[in-house]
Amino acid sequence: MKIKLEQVTKNYGNVQGISNISLDVDKGITGILGPNGAGKSTTMKMILGLSRPSRGIVTVDGKDPFYDWQLKKNFGFVPEYDCFYEHMSGLEFVMYFLRMHDFGKEEAEKMAREALSELGLDEAMERKINTYSRGMRQKTKVARATVFDPKVLVMDEPFQGADPTTRMLLMNKMIEWAKKGKTILISSHILHDVQSLTDNIALINNGKMLAHGNRHEIRNLINVPRPISIVPVKNGNLRKLAKRLLDEKWTKVIAIDEETNELTVETTQTEDIYVEIPKILQKEKITVKKIYSEDDSLDSLYAKLVEGRQWK
Amino acid sequence: MEIMGKISEIPEIIQTFAKRSKNVFPPIVKNCVYQLLVNKITWILVALLLLPCILGIIVYYQTDDQRQFQDSNGEKIYVDSEGIPTHEDNRETFLDISDAFVISFVAIIMAIIFSSELINEEFENKTIQLLRTTPIHPFEILLYRYVAGVICMFGILGLNAILFYYTTMMPSGTHGIIENLDVLLMVLQVLFFESLAFIAIFCVFTAYLEKPYLVGILYWIIWESFVSGQNYQKLTITHYLNSILFDSTKAMGWDVAESDYNLINSKDEIIATEPLIAMIVILTVAVIALIIGSRGLANRQF
Repeated sequence: MKIKLEQVTKNYGNVQGISNISLDVDKGITGILGPNGAGKSTTMKMILGLSRPSRGIVTVDGKDPFYDWQLKKNFGFVPEYDCFYEHMSGLEFVMYFLRMHDFGKEEAEKMAREALSELGLDEAMERKINTYSRGMRQKTKVARATVFDPKVLVMDEPFQGADPTTRMLLMNKMIEWAKKGKTILISSHILHDVQSLTDNIALINNGKMLAHGNRHEIRNLINVPRPISIVPVKNGNLRKLAKRLLDEKWTKVIAIDEETNELTVETTQTEDIYVEIPKILQKEKITVKKIYSEDDSLDSLYAKLVEGRQWK
Repeated sequence: MEIMGKISEIPEIIQTFAKRSKNVFPPIVKNCVYQLLVNKITWILVALLLLPCILGIIVYYQTDDQRQFQDSNGEKIYVDSEGIPTHEDNRETFLDISDAFVISFVAIIMAIIFSSELINEEFENKTIQLLRTTPIHPFEILLYRYVAGVICMFGILGLNAILFYYTTMMPSGTHGIIENLDVLLMVLQVLFFESLAFIAIFCVFTAYLEKPYLVGILYWIIWESFVSGQNYQKLTITHYLNSILFDSTKAMGWDVAESDYNLINSKDEIIATEPLIAMIVILTVAVIALIIGSRGLANRQF
């Protein structure tokens, strides 16, 4: 299913939630990234039809999710916050919402048991939710949202409060669901989580879209030198390599650290450098231990986009 | 054209609602009834409702040895010192207390609390956001909660009315209890229509407002208490409930006048409504209130 936001603005009285956001989301995983209060949840709520844009258009498969209630049979939603009927067991809770999707009692029970079991809640599913740990609650929310095989899965901070095992389990599940052709939208302020799931990201800050697309492509759009580190096997090759790289027009700055036997070259032509450096190394017969760029992470990308301000 | 298009969709929507009600209706009603019955305030109201019953039992045991009876075809008819059957006084006590305490006071408080609990709690727990991401129409969300509210309110008030009737009529013996069952049925009828009307009206407030209690109480005091005794009382639910009460008591042969139920205007003209019309008006108000409430629910943003 295709999700489309066209120049969407949402105001809460005089406070602007999001401003002029345009976004296209298709099958696969898309990460919405931004610090707390950036506007991630507002964006998700508008996609789910829980909120209406003050200006602009939100459509899911060409339909308005705020008014088209039947469209919602395709939506699975994992909210950031806890929203349970605490007196119910996990099984009853998942079953309750399956019944809202017009499943019969027996079928709903079978499906709910399978979904909860898959997420490791075999023993806890018949216990009251008010006895659950945070991880169990998170799994119950995910089971509720995914049990009916929705086409669109919107997950707001799905890893919040999850222990490492749950986190890994959820990540594997998301990859599995994405392979099945679902449109998955994940919001997070933990960059690492999203980085390991997808390269397709939307960066939001202060209600504004900073960038949207493939994170490597976004990085290339930012016209600031990008550091790439090279570690030769032999110490003696460090200066030889530096001298050679200075001849290249794409080299902006070179730094040598003889203690760590590491050379750092800064460039704006990031795509070329990964092609050119191996050629140079081959020609100069220099073997290297590794070539890497710390700057490739989402953290540094975000830091650059918000002009050095810290990620929360 | 747009309105006509929407109207033409109504039969299809109703068909869809009816088709899936077997799956959607039971869990919602079950959950709502549970929520209402475990609520502490419900039990405070139940305790309040039981006070007249307890009083009736105390009076019965204190006056038990002073009772006199006459034998009529093998039936004991309890009479007072003047030879008048006590059940005539007792049934009036039952009706007066039911009207002043239950129908005009506790029932309205209960409707405000129940409708708030049924809808506002969903907002406070944020479970409404999950419901709004499922393919159920806001009207269904409201309707099934409304049904649960009516079941609980009428269930509690009805059981209490039966208990209160029994404790009030106990001094009149079996004859008195059986002889005046029509009074009990009348009270039950009024309580049923009251539940239908007020739960729906307060659901509208809850669907539109985050803090519906104050507006509900103001509505009760200003509209249902003040306006209901005035010229425009036909705009109030109380007028129609009073009309049902008046007509039923008259039909039972009681000596009552329209003024006893405030069914007159400032020119002393009788403005009582026929009971059947009163019932239709109450049902219509409930349906309209649910439609308006579902619009409010549909337009609430999160």
